[in-house]
Amino acid sequence: MKILRVNMGAEGGPKAREEPMGEFEGLGGRALTSAIVAKEVPPLCHPLGADNKLVIAPGLLSGTTAAMSGRVSVGCKSPLTGGLKEANSGGQPSQMLARLGYGAIVLEGKPKEGKLYKIFINKDGVKISPDDSLKMLGNYDLVEKMKKEYGEKIGCISIGPAGEMKMSAASVAFTDMELRPTRHAGRGGVGAVMGTKGVKAIIIDDRGTTARSPKDSAKFLEANKKFVEGLKKHAVTGQGLPAYGTNVLTNVINEAGAYPTKNFMWGRFPACQKISGETEAETEKARGGLPTHGCHRGCVIQCSGVYVDKDGHYVTKQPEYETVWALGGNCEIDDLDVIALLDRLCDDYGVDTIEMGATIGVAMEAGLAKFGDGQASINLLKEVGKGSYLGRILGNGAAVTGKVLGMERVPVVKGQALPAYDPRGIQGIGVTYATSTQGADHTAGYAVTANVLKVGGFVDPLKPEGQVALSRNLQIATAAIDSTGMCLFIAFAVLDQPETFQALIDLLNAFYGLNLTADGVTELGKKVLKAEREFNKKAGLSAEHDRLPDFFMKEPLPPHNITFQVQDKDLDTLFNW
Amino acid sequence: MLGERAAGRISFAESIVNEAHSIVTLRLILVADLLSVFSPLLQRGFMTKIQTGTVVKAVLCEQFGLSPEYVQDRIKTIFLDGKAVDDIDSAILKAGSTLALSGPMPGLAGATLRREGLLASFRSQITHRGDKKDYPTRVEGMITVKIFNLLLDEIGPVFLKRGIYLPRGDFQDFFNNIPEKFQKEFGAAEVNGQKIDLDDLQKMDWLGQNDTVFLSVDFDAPTSN
Repeated sequence: MKILRVNMGAEGGPKAREEPMGEFEGLGGRALTSAIVAKEVPPLCHPLGADNKLVIAPGLLSGTTAAMSGRVSVGCKSPLTGGLKEANSGGQPSQMLARLGYGAIVLEGKPKEGKLYKIFINKDGVKISPDDSLKMLGNYDLVEKMKKEYGEKIGCISIGPAGEMKMSAASVAFTDMELRPTRHAGRGGVGAVMGTKGVKAIIIDDRGTTARSPKDSAKFLEANKKFVEGLKKHAVTGQGLPAYGTNVLTNVINEAGAYPTKNFMWGRFPACQKISGETEAETEKARGGLPTHGCHRGCVIQCSGVYVDKDGHYVTKQPEYETVWALGGNCEIDDLDVIALLDRLCDDYGVDTIEMGATIGVAMEAGLAKFGDGQASINLLKEVGKGSYLGRILGNGAAVTGKVLGMERVPVVKGQALPAYDPRGIQGIGVTYATSTQGADHTAGYAVTANVLKVGGFVDPLKPEGQVALSRNLQIATAAIDSTGMCLFIAFAVLDQPETFQALIDLLNAFYGLNLTADGVTELGKKVLKAEREFNKKAGLSAEHDRLPDFFMKEPLPPHNITFQVQDKDLDTLFNW
Repeated sequence: MLGERAAGRISFAESIVNEAHSIVTLRLILVADLLSVFSPLLQRGFMTKIQTGTVVKAVLCEQFGLSPEYVQDRIKTIFLDGKAVDDIDSAILKAGSTLALSGPMPGLAGATLRREGLLASFRSQITHRGDKKDYPTRVEGMITVKIFNLLLDEIGPVFLKRGIYLPRGDFQDFFNNIPEKFQKEFGAAEVNGQKIDLDDLQKMDWLGQNDTVFLSVDFDAPTSN
């Protein structure tokens, strides 16, 4: 594998060069993006400045025939959190980049003249060309244009108008199997950093390449077979997720009283079954949409889907749980068609749906719109796409919006909006929100195996320290899985079935000719977190930033009427290993 | 607002048991394909009579007729009055309880809420701690049951065959929004034991002054092909 470095600020115009992986050999995904950013980006640099870098890295197993291996990591210093960011996405480009032999693309510098560029990559090389005709195009129109220019066998990585306007909620879009810009590295404003590099789109054509070959093909095939068997036989990955997608969580989280509603005022949304995964799947089926669909080739879980309108016309990919919550329940909107349109607009403008939903919730509480008003939500989001003064405020996320509007209840950690689980209901997730290097992040502490849990000794589940230790182990294991390019949803099968976790390790070992063990996976995760934490410290993030907003400790959440109870001194022990 | 609604349901349920309500019985005989039509009702929650003062496991197995293996292997997430249940041998169902049943859920939150899950400590503040009080047992009472995701197809028919109680308003709301395929694939219906055709069923005159509908559904109707 090799690294493609593109210096967008080079004398005479942007220049590309390829170099060996070097000291980054053996790293992929989040491990690679975090290592490069930690080494090469000055922690105190301005996130929108020339010294920041945007790193796009497939995972260690991307481009192989391993199931579930198509995820991609996007890393930089975040304009939203001020810390080291890794945002993760599905879609096709990860597989394609890896088959072309790229371990990472690193965008560096800043173009001098404010031009907009596209970068075309195929087996013959890299071509960077200015193209101001792409200015302010939504991701959907952009992709259509690229299809006309380069054909239908491409993959696209792009930013929408939000990225061009360098909004801190801007995402980087990745096309799916149908060549639609529906998968996003959403969190932390990575799209704004791509915007500062003047890169509107990276177009990838991997024709003429083949899947990457493992060192031991027989062992690799065997491990993959066991891995797939494990995923298919598990009720979550083999049945629940394919049938209903991630939005299957709505009813359950709501029942637990941990479904943040009305800008985190309540823990239950009375109309939640109108926007549940069950209702969403039924609606799609009845209208000729598709409730079972993969976001990249090689996905066997197929948790995505296709949402259509009442006449059967495509609207957007099946909105995920986080999106349905953020743009739905959090804003008291109970109409799936409205939520689908909001999702489509977010994809087109290139903004994070979680950040936008939290932002609109804050704006609603501030009086800019009524809770439950779907049309008002659509209008607010359209302001973002237009880049109006209001839109620029909203497009910079919940923290900025809350400050401008004089709001106290602003659900952010390290400037990033909280996702769809109220930490007062599920306090361990609150520990992760508070302490993660990524800001409030629901995927940062996601995966665990029985082996990993035993590392660090026994913890009392009823004590706050128990939750802190558990969150620590989860964050370590997640950082490791994010480095493989594997979809995090394998975690559930891996959690329950030790043989499936072993199959994942066997895949890595067979591909690279290694002898990794579960402990080795743990060490990789720790290394990643350590690098991120150290960067954050140098960037000025301290223990004071590892905290939830004050209102979580003061406002009891109905229906259980509880506050967040984990003490600061316990949160401060999380990174003690 | 949330508390008022729950309190209203409890008093309504009590009054059904105390026979302070007038109930009309509607039995539908439908093809299996129409199960999905009832999904909103099953998710939102319906009332059913049980012998109260009994632990969750006994109600599920002895009263609802679910096998212990099914309960163990498929009903992986259970809430009793909004609290996650780990021990179904100690959590007691009382009159007015709300019992929510789900398959295993994805993600960190899903793993956290799962019955006897490794990550249960993450939600210790909303864990059902078991009932230490003694409650009168085997007293007929009404509870609310909610069924989610994979369990809708698997045990939804069990509850619909057994029969569910719906306040008149909830039934009308449901029936007024019923999808077209109900009309296209309709089988047969009986009101208080008397046959009724689809047109008359849809007019809803048969509700009369009754304020409660006891709805049962048999998915036994032959398919058209």
